[in-house]
Amino acid sequence: MSAPAKHMDVLAAADDLRRRTLAEMTQPLERLIYLASTRDYNTGLYYHHGLALRFSEEAACEALAGCHREAFEELVAASLEEIVHELQTYLESTRVAPNDFIVAWQGLEPYRVAVPVGIDSLSSELVFSNLKVALAILESRLDARPKPGASRRPLPVQ
Amino acid sequence: MIGLLLYLLVGIGLLVILWVLARREGAPVEGCGRQFVEARQALRTLQLGLLPENLIERIFDREDFRYVMAASPGEIGELFLQERKRISLMWVRRVRCEIRNLMQFHLGYSRLHVKLSLPTEIRLALDFTLLLLACRALRILLNARGPYGAGAVVRILTSAAGRVCAASEKSLAFLNPPALESFRHNSAGDGAAI
Repeated sequence: MSAPAKHMDVLAAADDLRRRTLAEMTQPLERLIYLASTRDYNTGLYYHHGLALRFSEEAACEALAGCHREAFEELVAASLEEIVHELQTYLESTRVAPNDFIVAWQGLEPYRVAVPVGIDSLSSELVFSNLKVALAILESRLDARPKPGASRRPLPVQ
Repeated sequence: MIGLLLYLLVGIGLLVILWVLARREGAPVEGCGRQFVEARQALRTLQLGLLPENLIERIFDREDFRYVMAASPGEIGELFLQERKRISLMWVRRVRCEIRNLMQFHLGYSRLHVKLSLPTEIRLALDFTLLLLACRALRILLNARGPYGAGAVVRILTSAAGRVCAASEKSLAFLNPPALESFRHNSAGDGAAI
């Protein structure tokens, strides 16, 4: 990770990433969580094996960082209604019992570690705040429904 | 005798004023790089982090409130209003802080590098005063009436902040030499590392 990636390589890598890996992730929230998971907590650098092989580690890293920031900015610009819809879609894609998902997300707030570097704290607070309200809305919808398939797994430790 | 003493006092007073003025012009030129960097940082935070139109629209847009009230009123409605009030107060606090940073810079340093005309300086001073008053008024209104009770003040604040940013951009333009600008355009622009 010493040499900076060439701008054209980064653009090509980002294009490739959007066309292949991210193509199936239509919601920014889904992309945000996925792209944050490609970032090393200790170094802050992104890694994607296939992309690094096709281009270079540096280009892949910058492309992932760019797409991560893009997904976050889309989430900042999204209305609360869109965020509720995105969260619902993401919840369904995880195949976790909805109640477990909501309890885990309300307790652990995993979205807090999914913020790209260099984002203003106000934007991230707005997204966190919207997600908090969106989770409450989803929870109220679940409470309104009968609960035949509630999981008996233990709650996450807080 | 009393007349002589009076003249002496006036003379000493004038000398003191002269000395203070001479010191004021000479002192800050050296070692004021940090102030320029801080002013630049404040300007960037305002332009990119706090004043983008879509962010302000997002924070103060009533559509979200209508959606919450239609989807699940009651406790969730209250939670939403609390959250939006917290975010809007945070926004005002941050804008005020960055405006004060820019004001300090203009008061102390910008005139050393950029020749501002008297009307421009007066307009800038009025804008800074208006901004600080608007921030205070907005905080009171947000606390009293919630996030949707101060739309007009938000508009006044953002337009005055835009004018101040434009003036500050000119004062700090010398920090953007053409060579650096072209270098920035050639790079990817996305910081990958923390």
